[in-house]
Amino acid sequence: MTTQLAGGVVLIGWPQLLLASGFVFVTGALALWMQLGLTKDLAIGAARTYIQLLLLGVVLGWAFQADRWYWVVGILGIMTVAAARIILKRAPDAPAGLFLAAVTSMAVTGITVTFAVTGLVIGADPWYSPRYVIPIAGMVLGNSMTGIALSLERVFSDLDSRADEVLAMSALGATAWEAAHPSIRTALRAGLIPAINSMAAAGIVFIPGMMTGQILAGADPLEATKYQIVVMLMVAAAEVIGAVIAVLMSYKRRFTPDGVFLEKGLRD
Amino acid sequence: MPETPPPLLAARALTVSRRVDAGLIRILDAIDLTLDAGTLADVVGPSGAGKTTLLLALARLLPGVEGALIFDGAPATTIDPRVWRASIAYLPQRNALLPGTVAASLRAPWRLKIRAGAQAPSDEALRVALDGVRLTDVALDRDVARLSEGQAARVAFLRTLLTGPRVLLLDEPDAALDAESSAEVGRLTREFTGAGGAVIRVRHHVADGLADRRLHLAGGHLTEVAL
Repeated sequence: MTTQLAGGVVLIGWPQLLLASGFVFVTGALALWMQLGLTKDLAIGAARTYIQLLLLGVVLGWAFQADRWYWVVGILGIMTVAAARIILKRAPDAPAGLFLAAVTSMAVTGITVTFAVTGLVIGADPWYSPRYVIPIAGMVLGNSMTGIALSLERVFSDLDSRADEVLAMSALGATAWEAAHPSIRTALRAGLIPAINSMAAAGIVFIPGMMTGQILAGADPLEATKYQIVVMLMVAAAEVIGAVIAVLMSYKRRFTPDGVFLEKGLRD
Repeated sequence: MPETPPPLLAARALTVSRRVDAGLIRILDAIDLTLDAGTLADVVGPSGAGKTTLLLALARLLPGVEGALIFDGAPATTIDPRVWRASIAYLPQRNALLPGTVAASLRAPWRLKIRAGAQAPSDEALRVALDGVRLTDVALDRDVARLSEGQAARVAFLRTLLTGPRVLLLDEPDAALDAESSAEVGRLTREFTGAGGAVIRVRHHVADGLADRRLHLAGGHLTEVAL
């Protein structure tokens, strides 16, 4: 087996890629033997990993070469819409019509945090430089998607579990905001805890993915660390901004314009 | 000749429809109701007849209600829903106290915008109120999680009463209470009507002799029955 080197990076060939896939076959065999009913899901998951990531590699390579702002903006748009759709799937209790809230929160988060980092911290030139903007946006959107999905799922499930309390507050003259506030608080905390935990554990419990990637690619560990710090801080910021926008734009959908909470029995 | 004051609360053709398996049914079917100041009216009827729905509709806590509501001569359409609910106070059957101490729970209504600037009751006032419903052994700083169901029901009753509404809509206020506590809550309810308030009370227990009127709700219709 020959090892190719490119700029200090050990390249992975197709035979090595197939070898790595062997682990999935072992896992699949184990799942089959234990009758977990997961073999099909595992096979589809592995196939999707291959197809989606190889496609991403091709698209990124093409985008880097094309180097046009409108392609970069278009790719960010597709990523944002895809993330919004995933968010809605992860919050099954959420009322219908939340697509706008999900897209807006993802778009505002993605644009502000991504370009704040690429423009002000990294100083990418030109501003749309695909090599910086697309991967950074991917990390921002991916992480804020998790935070937003958790917050949205929690705000509506918490409102349902507090239905009696919400009714009692409304009966005392509370606005929708006042009656929903404890649930909003719970939801935002739930959405932010993963980011806070990952900041606390970084470097002690695990080596973050981006830093690992840069070190494997031959970067100086200290330089990779600086990048990782920037990324972790911006991801935390993205989660806060995204979750707050999404929850504030959506909680009122569980209330009528008169401030009446639509508990389960009152929904169409 | 002195002018007759308008009823404190009136409902005209109050209708609530809900879609169920068999199709659209009218839980409340064009109900007319007037309630004068100083009156205590009991609403009775079989389970599922819509007694809670009636109270929620009167409190403007239910969407999709048809008909007209009038408070002290003023149509509901001219009154902000939150002001309406502060004046015509609904007390749910399942009491839901906010987490925290008894004092914080009793003062929760004063943290709402609708009572901005109003003075919340003092510790002394809260103590007197608690003693009035046989909660002498409940300290103001006790966590509401440590109250029994009956104690929590009385704290929830006081929380509503202390806000000074004009009409009380009580959904089985004594369902979780023993006979003596029930009598104390009944006495306070009567004091409230004595001071010019009006009360509609949903009850399942046998008549306690306090009500001035007895209304029977069944099949979407409300009829006056003998006490």
